Amino acid sequence: MGSTEPRTPPRTDGQFLPDFCSARAVLAVVLLAELVAIVLTLARYEASVQFWESLARVSLFLLWCTLLSAALLCAARPLLVGATPARTSIAALGIVLGCVAAVSYGAWWMGREWQELPALLTAAGVGKLPAFLLTNLAIAAIVTGLLLRYFWVTAQWRRKIEEEARARIRALQARIRPHFLFNSMNTIAALTRSDPGRAEEAVEDLADLFRASLSDAAAMVTLKEELELSRIYQRIEQHRLGERLAVEWQVASLPMRARIPPLSVQPLLENAIYHGIEQLAGGGTVVVRGSYDDAARIIEISIENPRPDDAQARTGQRAGNRIALDNLRQRFALSWGPRASVEAGPAGSRYRVVLRFPAELAA
Amino acid sequence: MRVLIVDDEALARGRLRALLAEDASHEVVAEAESGEACLALVAKHRPDVVLLDIRMAGMDGIETARHLAALAEPPAVIFTTAYDAFAIQAFDAQAVGYLLKPVRGERLTEALHRVARPTRPQLAALTGAGGTPRRRIAAKLGDALRLIPVDTIRYFQADQKYVTVHHEGGADLIDESLKDLETEFQESFVRIHRNALVALQYLAALERDARGMLLARLDGITETLAVSRRHAPEVRRRMRAG
Repeated sequence: MGSTEPRTPPRTDGQFLPDFCSARAVLAVVLLAELVAIVLTLARYEASVQFWESLARVSLFLLWCTLLSAALLCAARPLLVGATPARTSIAALGIVLGCVAAVSYGAWWMGREWQELPALLTAAGVGKLPAFLLTNLAIAAIVTGLLLRYFWVTAQWRRKIEEEARARIRALQARIRPHFLFNSMNTIAALTRSDPGRAEEAVEDLADLFRASLSDAAAMVTLKEELELSRIYQRIEQHRLGERLAVEWQVASLPMRARIPPLSVQPLLENAIYHGIEQLAGGGTVVVRGSYDDAARIIEISIENPRPDDAQARTGQRAGNRIALDNLRQRFALSWGPRASVEAGPAGSRYRVVLRFPAELAA
Repeated sequence: MRVLIVDDEALARGRLRALLAEDASHEVVAEAESGEACLALVAKHRPDVVLLDIRMAGMDGIETARHLAALAEPPAVIFTTAYDAFAIQAFDAQAVGYLLKPVRGERLTEALHRVARPTRPQLAALTGAGGTPRRRIAAKLGDALRLIPVDTIRYFQADQKYVTVHHEGGADLIDESLKDLETEFQESFVRIHRNALVALQYLAALERDARGMLLARLDGITETLAVSRRHAPEVRRRMRAG
């Protein structure tokens, strides 16, 4: 995964610049240079000048400037760790202007030494070095300034998104439903008298569940761990709901080493029980079904519960579910982008949530 | 004291039973696992007090309590809940007795010593605060209750003292005010006259009689109801809104 690893540590303010060492950034630099070249050529277009020739010259000049700048920015990256945004901006601007000055001087020198070469950038010929230099530096300063501003805004925006996602995970972790907590305590209080063995088991299960909810939110867990946690949750609810709750696990075909954000399946099972089973006097069956597309390496997990036929209870399901689903969608998007999806909605007399995500096996 | 325990979870009932068994002055006369079963068992066993869970499938605790209040001699009620932020606020505001699960033995004893019947205004306030509108209306039939599903009700009509519920199965008298009913069922009912509250679902059309009086025609009912001039605009608006 390398640099595209989704869960990189949070960027500090100073590192808002993209990593110019990466191939993608270099490609972007080349494309950008070409765009600027086209703009400059168009702006100076006159019938007397050959457009393509002029574009080629400007491109050559700009590619030298930008690639040289990118290479130096790449080399300077370790030096800029921890620098303030202002310092980083000044350093980047300095590097770019330095490169432009050097390349301009080179172009001017070559134009003077080899008269037969077409003059670079200035169609009228490179007569006066200071004017040539100043023009190029002014253009470079403006374009670099705009770019820095763009990088800064993008980095801020991305940081905000990441922070929001982390905050949501924290909120989700803190959100062990009070209803569930106190009911579990009541279950344990009842079992302590009637069945100390089961009471002990319930305390252990509850401890595991809380530990998971307090663990590092950013780390991925394996599917095996997440399903195990969901089963622990089921065991606790089973004491309370007895025969009213049945869960059918059809997950044998899933690659258990696949990675998944923690608390992905468990909250959905919790919703299925809270909004579905608990609202039904006769109870019902939650079906957790997993399938694995070997060729596309896509895992699909669906969680399905019977819907209470009561309109109000259904409204409740929508409202309460939305928080958990939005949260999950965001975390899936953060981990896998468009390759993962979370779909939810009624399916006949049942309510179904379907998770789809790429199988990335843990080592 | 004769106690009826109502909770849809067996372990929760078991715990209350065990706590009550420690005090010889109390007797558990029955246990119910739903609001519906509770109403039947109250009629049969006549308990002094009902320990009533709030969150239950089907008829919830607050709705059950409202139906109990329609009885000639309603039992006292102590609500129990693991966690219901809205309900607890409302209970405190209304000074209605409740216990938090897991229930402490001494709290239970204390609550049983100062049990009280929640009054109807108290219960109505609870419904407004955290609960949802009732799904049934209780009408008294001698000692028993008739529960009328709200979605079969055509309209409520106020008389001097009583309110008559006109529903699919006929008409029954209930002891509630039209104003409270209007507040509780504002989503699905609309006031068409000082003395009538009509289910939007069954409101078919508005028409004028020979004298120019505005009348409401309801599905499944032959007679028409007078719509007062004051309420007409709101009725039209609600009908358009669907």
